[in-house]
Parts: sequence; C-alpha cells; structure tokens
Amino acid sequence: MSRVEGLKCVLGDDTYRKIRNAKVLLVGAGGIGCELLKDLILLGYSEVHVVDLDTIDLSNLNRQFLFRHKDIKQPKASTAVNAVQSFNFFKTKLVPYQASIYETDLFPMSWFEQFDLIFNALDNIQARSYINKVALLLNKTVMESGTTGTNGQAQPTFPYHTECYDCLHRETPKTFPVCTIRSTPSQPVHCIHWAKSFLFTSLFSEDDEPVVQPEGKDTGELGTDNQQEIANLISENNELVELKRSIASEDFVDKVIAKVFTKDIENLLKISDLWKTRKQPTPLEYNNQIKEKVLKISKEEIGTGQREWTLEQNLKVFIDSTLALQKRIAIEKEIEFDKDDEDTLNFVASATNIRSHIFSIPLKAKFDIKSIAGNIIPAIATTNAIIAGFSALLSLKQFDESYENRIQNSKAVFTVSNSDKFVSPSMLQSPNPKCATCSAVRGVAHFDTSKTLNDLLGALQSTYGLDEEISLSLGSNLLYDIDFDDNVEKTLKEMGIVDGVLLNVADETDKYQSVKGGDLKLPDIKMAEKPPVEEKEENDQDDEEDGVELINDNDDDLLIVDVKEATSPDKRKAKAQDYDDTHVTKKPKTDSEIEIVE
Amino acid sequence: MSSLLKNRLQEERKQWRKDHPYGFFAKPEKSADGSLNLQSWTAGVPGKDNTIWENATYPLTITFPNDFPSKPPKVRLPAGFYHPNVYPSGTICLSILNEDQDWRPGINLKQILLGVQELLDTPNPDSPAQEPAWRAFGKDRALYEKKVIEQAKKYAKAG
Repeated sequence: MSRVEGLKCVLGDDTYRKIRNAKVLLVGAGGIGCELLKDLILLGYSEVHVVDLDTIDLSNLNRQFLFRHKDIKQPKASTAVNAVQSFNFFKTKLVPYQASIYETDLFPMSWFEQFDLIFNALDNIQARSYINKVALLLNKTVMESGTTGTNGQAQPTFPYHTECYDCLHRETPKTFPVCTIRSTPSQPVHCIHWAKSFLFTSLFSEDDEPVVQPEGKDTGELGTDNQQEIANLISENNELVELKRSIASEDFVDKVIAKVFTKDIENLLKISDLWKTRKQPTPLEYNNQIKEKVLKISKEEIGTGQREWTLEQNLKVFIDSTLALQKRIAIEKEIEFDKDDEDTLNFVASATNIRSHIFSIPLKAKFDIKSIAGNIIPAIATTNAIIAGFSALLSLKQFDESYENRIQNSKAVFTVSNSDKFVSPSMLQSPNPKCATCSAVRGVAHFDTSKTLNDLLGALQSTYGLDEEISLSLGSNLLYDIDFDDNVEKTLKEMGIVDGVLLNVADETDKYQSVKGGDLKLPDIKMAEKPPVEEKEENDQDDEEDGVELINDNDDDLLIVDVKEATSPDKRKAKAQDYDDTHVTKKPKTDSEIEIVE
Repeated sequence: MSSLLKNRLQEERKQWRKDHPYGFFAKPEKSADGSLNLQSWTAGVPGKDNTIWENATYPLTITFPNDFPSKPPKVRLPAGFYHPNVYPSGTICLSILNEDQDWRPGINLKQILLGVQELLDTPNPDSPAQEPAWRAFGKDRALYEKKVIEQAKKYAKAG
C-alpha cells in the first residue's frame, strides 16, 4: 500500500481531501515545534508556514531533534524546514520565516487571514496572548500547546465559543523586595538573585553610575522602612562602584571577598533591628592561612558541579572565575551573565554559596544554581512529543463541515505525571464571561480620519443605538467620555485614530451586555439589554472579595479595529459608518497591545 | 498593555465620574495630544473637618503600573510633605498600597483616597517614614500640630 493509500485509510477520504488543501501556521520551531512540524507533514497538510525568531543553541539539541551540532547559530525555522524535507512524502509546501511574530510589516493581519488553523508551539505568555488576540480578531481556531517537565497540555481554542488564552488569570512572576535580596536572605534563591543581579552586574556589566537614591526609590520596592538599613544599602552600593574602578588591580579579588563577604556583613550586623527575629549572619573569615589552603585545591577536586562544593571549594571557584572575568573585562568591557558562559556561571554559583554559608542557608550544587539563575524550565523530549502528537491529532477534528461539531468533538488533553493516568482528556470550557480579552466584541471598521471625533460619536450612536454615555479610548488614553468633551472638534487623525489602531468603545450606561460575538462586521453587532440586576450594595473598605467583579464588569464593550484611512478621493467621501473588512494588518506596541494597520 | 489593565482603568474612571466623595477630586493627566492618560492621575484629598488637617485639599499623584491591578498604584503627596508616614519623596506608607501587606486587586480609587484621608489624621507611629514629623508626633505634639496647621494653610482650599 502506498503512503497516500495508507493516509487515506487512516483519515478517511473526506478528511484526506481537506487536509491536502489545508494551509496552516506553526508559531515556534523549538521543542514542541520540531515535533509538530514532523507530525503535520506526515499528516499530509498542504502548506505549513513556520515562524521562529530564534537561532539554534547547543542546549536545544537534546530535544529539538531536527537540529544537529553543525546547525548551531543557524535560524530554527529554515533549519527545521530543511531537515524534514527527507521525509516530506506528501510534498507539503513549507515556508520558513526567521522573524518575530509581532512584526507587522511581515505579518499583517491579512497574512494571518490565509490560514485554516494556527498551531502554537510557543514558550512564553506574551506571544501566546498575542496570537490569542489575533485569533479573536480573525476568528481563527488555535491549537495551543505547552509543557513543563512531564506536565503538558494541548488545547484547541475556538474564539468566543471556548475558553481563550486570557480567560484564566495568571500569576505575575514573584519579585523579591530589595531588602530581602540585599540584607536579609533566607532562601538559596535570594542568594542567587544577589549574586547574579546585584554582585555580578555591579562588577562586570553595569556602567559605574551612582546608584540608589534614598528617596527616589519607594518603599514598596525596597520592602523596608528602616532608615539605617536603607542608608546601609546605599553605602554598600557606592563602595562596590568604588571597588569596580580598581578592577584591573592585582588584589581585586581579595578586595571583593573582604568587602562583600566580610565587611558588608559586619555592617549589617550593626543594624540590630534586623536580627531581633532572624538568625544573625556570620561574616566570612578569610585570612592568608585560609587563602593558602584554598589555593591548593585542585581542578579535579572541584569536579563538574553536579555535587555541592565545600566552602573552601566555593572560594577557590570564586577566586578563579573572578580572575578569569577580570582578564576578560579588560578586552570585552562588559560581560553579561549567561548560564552557558562557564566563567559567569562559576562566579554566580560560588558567590551564591559563600553568601548562603554566611546566612546559614543550605548550599546548592552549581548544576541547581544554573537552572535557577538561567530561568531554565525543564523540557523533556518525550512530553513534547506526546503533546505535539495530541495537538496534531486534535487538528483532525477541525475538518468537520459543522463548526458546532468541531467544538463538540474537540477536547483538551493534559499529561500529569503524579496521577494514575498520565494522559487525561478534558472538556473544553466555556469562555470566562469576565475575561477582559474575549468578553469584548471586536470588529474591523474603516473610515475617513479627517472626520471629527463628533462625527464618529454620531456614527456610533446611530449605528448601534448607543446614547451619549459612551467612552472612547486608545490603550490607556481616554479620548472622550461624557465628562470629557474637549476633543470632540478634533479630527480622528489628530486624536491618534489612524491606520491600524485599536479603539475601545465602551457603553457606560450599564444597559447593555455583549452578545456572542465573533463576527467581524461591526454593523452586525447587536446590543441586547441586560437583564435587570439587583442593585449592589455599596460598601467600602471591607469589600475585598468583590473587587474582581469590578474589574471585569464592563462586558459591554465594542472594540473597533482597523480604522481605515481613506486614501482615494472616492473613499474620502465615504461616511464614517461605511465599514468593510478587507485587509487588516497589525502593529505591536511595546507591550502586548495590538494595533491594527491597513 | 493588558486588556485587564485597560478595562480596569476605564472602570475606575467611570466609577469615579459617577460617584465620588464630597470634596475629593481625581482626574487623569492630559497628554500632549489632548487625550487623558488613564495610567497617570492627579487627585485632591480634603483634610477632615474638625481636625488639624481641615480647610485644605492635599494634592496627590497616582501612577498605575502596567501590572495593575495585580500590583498597587503608586500614590504620592508632594515631596517634603509633613506627616509621620510620608517619605521625604512624598511616597505614602499605607498598608493598602503595599503589595506585601494589604493591597488587594479589588481596592478602588475611592477606597485609596479615603484611606489617605484617614491616614492624615491618624498617623501610624509604628511605621515612621520621615524623621521630623514622626519625632514631633511622638515627643512634641505642640510642634507637630503647629507644623501641620502651617502646612494646611499652604494647601488651603481656594475661596
């Protein structure tokens, strides 16, 4: 049986025919991306466009199986595409891009429009959130996937019908107050932070500018209001800047040790308030006798860093790596911490451990410190392969004629290592009605930007039956609301409503709720009156739990996207409410905000 | 910028517009293009009547960070403001504005400004933020009150 016959047998004639005509986008050619690309071409997809900004790194090779040692520093997207050619049995057309997916000149909205499906194989929240917004604007199904160690999930998302990526609130990464890092560490991770972000950066990467203004920093960041402690932090810093100036001197490393591990700690001890409830640190004792002993330690004794070093071994590594960095900085001027740069990693690992010792915190092996300092999320090839496999298999459900069936037949798949069942399916959840992203109705609007804000307001009111109580904003800039009409005579262009911006129109009467959206043409959006709700009682300070309600309460938004600037004389005459949804493109702001550009 | 931030700031504006306590004001700052920047506000908090803070409106700046409402806004009085719990920079030391203490994403602008008003007359001597006012409050109440009343004149309500 030929491969084609085999595939037909497995997929059925109908799905086979459709998949041979399907054009899909794969975002990411890393751990999951490599697996998924293989799966997609073996399923016979007609065309796969692969986007990845990155180049191949040595540390990728253990799991990103399309890459070899010789490919290091080559772009991931094109390398992956070339690698699969040897088994591209169904002659899938492959188009690689080495570019950021936020690049709107390359990837305008009209470009996304061409794909039947979008496969996410991403490693970060920001890009996932961006693709999520694109999908909501264009009503595209996204096959989302991700893994952490042995845990993973693959999940199709149907805009406005099932949970979108932003429907679940994500914790913002934990940050540590400055004082914990600098004065009162209690965990290895505090010492790692100190070694990497403070000590290393101060000595080898930053310009020696004066640091920390006592009043400029507010207490939230410092996490202390002990004036003595703050003063101490500042002088500590300034002394370090001073020390950096002598980086070329022979006794530099001795000076550093004497300062950061002995003198700074002695100074901390003087602030007795700090140690009322905490264990006191012990300043490092470092004299010629110890130094001699340390210097005798051999390379073999240090080993590769899989096991913990003793204090003396840490000192040896600290001295050696400092000397090496000292030599390099004369040539390189500035050195950034990189987990794969042995000198920088040795410096950070040993400094971490010496500080941990001082504060009676357990020491860590260099290997462990590497994974924390380098923000390494464990990636396991097997999990990636399983999840990519499910993502590809779930995509087969997307060829049903009925959209309802596609949703009904789709499941999310999770892998969990510490349960009886490694793989478990889960029903797709309905969208979170309070989701700030997908509870708004979106659409593409085109109008003449030489009109005034007043004209736009009139058009919005007559088209949607809204009254005066609406607000218009671009990002966090408010252009109009009922108490702020300074700008109504200005043109849309003057107010920044130009090609491709995302304009937020909100009804502020609380009369409307959004209807199930998904339709791009604004004139089709109808507002339904909210069912009467009981007046909520207003209470003040003790009203803690209720807050979330307030955040997401405006489910009555309209998002108008793509305000098209009329260029031809014909279009110029067009009225503001003349919408059509031809080509849309997209430009990112610095954050994950979306702008739409024609 | 996240949708959450944007929606929440719009909501803050809307809520404040529709209902705010008497004598208070709060408005977003105007950008160069004439729009209002909802991440940066100026506000005024009146001192309570029958206290040494009365007959004055104290100006505040409120900055909403990009990760608001996960993180609290930064609220400041003018630099050098005389109050035991206000840093020399003007930053206010108030537990509901501290992420590690009592900040909750549900706390709104009105609650913050009422909190600041409350703090004016009921300083917390256990978390000093500046030397002069804190020392005077604890050891020389007459001097403290004199300074506060002088300051109130500086921020006296117009008319």
